[in-house]
Amino acid sequence: MKPPRSSWLVLLFVFLGSPASRVAQAAEHVRVGIYENSPKVGLSESGNPEGIFVDLIEAIAAKEDWILDYVPGTWAEGLDRLAKGEIDLMPDVALTPTRENQFRLHREPVLSDWFQVYTRRVSDVRSLLDLNGKRVSVLERSIQQEAFEKIIAGFDMNIRLVTFPDYRSAFAAVTNGDVDAVIVNRFFGNSHIREYQLEDTAVIFSPTRLFFAAPKNSTRPLLETIDKHLAQFKKDPQSVYYKSLQRWTSEEARFSFPLWLKGTVIGAAVLLVLFLLWSFELKHVVKLRTRELANRNEENAFLYKKLQQYADDLALRVAQRTDELTRTNRELQKAKEDAESADRIKSAFLATMSHELRTPLNSIIGFTGILLQNLAGPLSDEQRKQLEMVRKSSRHLLALINDVLDISKIEAGQLDVKSRRFEVNASITKVVDLVKPLAEKKRLTLRTEIPPEAAMWESDAQRCEQILLNLLNNAIKFTEKGTVTLRADFTADSLRISVADTGIGIKPEDLCTLFQPFRQIDTGLSRQHEGTGLGLAICRRLALLLGGEIHATSVWGKGSVFTLTLPMGVQEKP
Amino acid sequence: MTECILLIEDNEQSRYLVTFLLEAHGYTVIPACDGPEGIEQAGRLLPHLILLDIQLPSMDGYAVARALKANPALMDTPIVAVTSYAMPGDRQIALAGDCDGYIEKPINPETFVSEIKHHLRKTGKESPR
Repeated sequence: MKPPRSSWLVLLFVFLGSPASRVAQAAEHVRVGIYENSPKVGLSESGNPEGIFVDLIEAIAAKEDWILDYVPGTWAEGLDRLAKGEIDLMPDVALTPTRENQFRLHREPVLSDWFQVYTRRVSDVRSLLDLNGKRVSVLERSIQQEAFEKIIAGFDMNIRLVTFPDYRSAFAAVTNGDVDAVIVNRFFGNSHIREYQLEDTAVIFSPTRLFFAAPKNSTRPLLETIDKHLAQFKKDPQSVYYKSLQRWTSEEARFSFPLWLKGTVIGAAVLLVLFLLWSFELKHVVKLRTRELANRNEENAFLYKKLQQYADDLALRVAQRTDELTRTNRELQKAKEDAESADRIKSAFLATMSHELRTPLNSIIGFTGILLQNLAGPLSDEQRKQLEMVRKSSRHLLALINDVLDISKIEAGQLDVKSRRFEVNASITKVVDLVKPLAEKKRLTLRTEIPPEAAMWESDAQRCEQILLNLLNNAIKFTEKGTVTLRADFTADSLRISVADTGIGIKPEDLCTLFQPFRQIDTGLSRQHEGTGLGLAICRRLALLLGGEIHATSVWGKGSVFTLTLPMGVQEKP
Repeated sequence: MTECILLIEDNEQSRYLVTFLLEAHGYTVIPACDGPEGIEQAGRLLPHLILLDIQLPSMDGYAVARALKANPALMDTPIVAVTSYAMPGDRQIALAGDCDGYIEKPINPETFVSEIKHHLRKTGKESPR
């Protein structure tokens, strides 16, 4: 643990503060909050305040004859103290709506900052989307955590955020390979990137401008004074402002001898030999870097200005892009709602249409029936023949309306499915008895091959029977001579019922579209074989609703086999 | 004595159709165009059976059936709903209410009369008039 040298320093200021003010009445005390966010603001190893904000306020203090009293603490403590008026200035504050109510900021920004993603040196992260599926470390309860979580949610990505108590351990986690990337502010990132052997990526977000903040109700013109000097500093590339930026924003510049080393070197000359080699090495590095710095000093100011322009431009573009994304999201949400409402309208329309069509059909079917029963007087043969046609067509129309309604009910999820135990043989016998007259009329053999024992199964018996009736009707309809066979067999977890015929069969190219609505009409067969063309479409939808499936095999000209497979039990709708 | 059937139906063609069909088979049919008229006729004439359309103007069939059953003199008179409502649950709603039977429109002219006969017989045994 480091001794709390900083607090001694504060005490020292407090003790020295009052007599000093008595001596020089003009000198004004300004209490400044300090917290650790190097290189913007922080404490050196010897406990002295340092950083860009510190350089700046000290330069202003020197010109204004202020006496600075530094009050170190955490970020949250600093903001609390500022709110209570216990300090006069807090550095490194970005403008947010909540802070606007509590604090006052000056106008000329000290720094532009943003959050940036850093990775190990060989990485494939080129854009935000490349982070999908990766682990990313962030500072615990920081605004970058909050901001990044919002971005992740916006892009629907799967990123695991790992939180760390401070920036250094968050950086170390990437170096060690515990996580894939880290999010920090760009000042910390750029000044520690080499130390941790990381590289920066192009993934940048949440640009902010940073200021000194003063209490809202303060009457002292400190902020105006800061603005005045800052504006002047910014005009002069040789000013303390640019020098501080150069000093803190390049890692090389931050190199200095630790204090304890100086003392040890002087005091322990006996150990000189031991340190000699290291000292040479250090000197060499210092020399090299000093030369490097000298060369870069001039262009750095220019480069910083350029960088500032890029930062402003970037902030603008990020804002524009965010706007666009928000708008697109809103449009997508609206499109989704429109589609859902269109679906509801469709279902309601079909129900109403079915009802409205039934009323006129009632008259057509009813009066045709009355006439054909000779209730309104005798009919000629020709009249009877024509009325039979009206009756057949109107029944066909009714079947179509019923089938369309059935399909729309299934698709709207309005069809109830009940899972009950039932006797399979009884259901099969019931259905076979219904179609027996049709088969006999066409002189077809109708055969059933079912297990002799009364096997029980659990499903929706009524829907199963509806499917089987449809398959048997189809088989008889499309078979001119031969046999229609219904076969049932069980495995442990499924019931399989097949209907085989010796009819006209189905061409291979038609097999795949067989279960789509109105396929029969497309094949041109419907003229010979009446039917709505919706039977198989309904069968397949019902089979799926029962958790099962239906499929067909066929040899053109020889016959077809339709097989229904059902699981034990059905998921009932709530 | 011919059996008397009250027909509450707002559609003119449907009214004519059912009246013709039933009269051809020897029943007496009293037509009513809406609920209030039907309730009034039923209370006065005490028919043997009431055929009730569900989609009626101003007062729907369910409410009409409720009002009919509230009359003690009509408590045992069978009410058969004749309706083109064919959505899931329509039949259950009609039967769970105050209707004793349910015939879907369009009616089947071949079986309609025998269905009516069936409903008349069912109650005829229990409460001979």
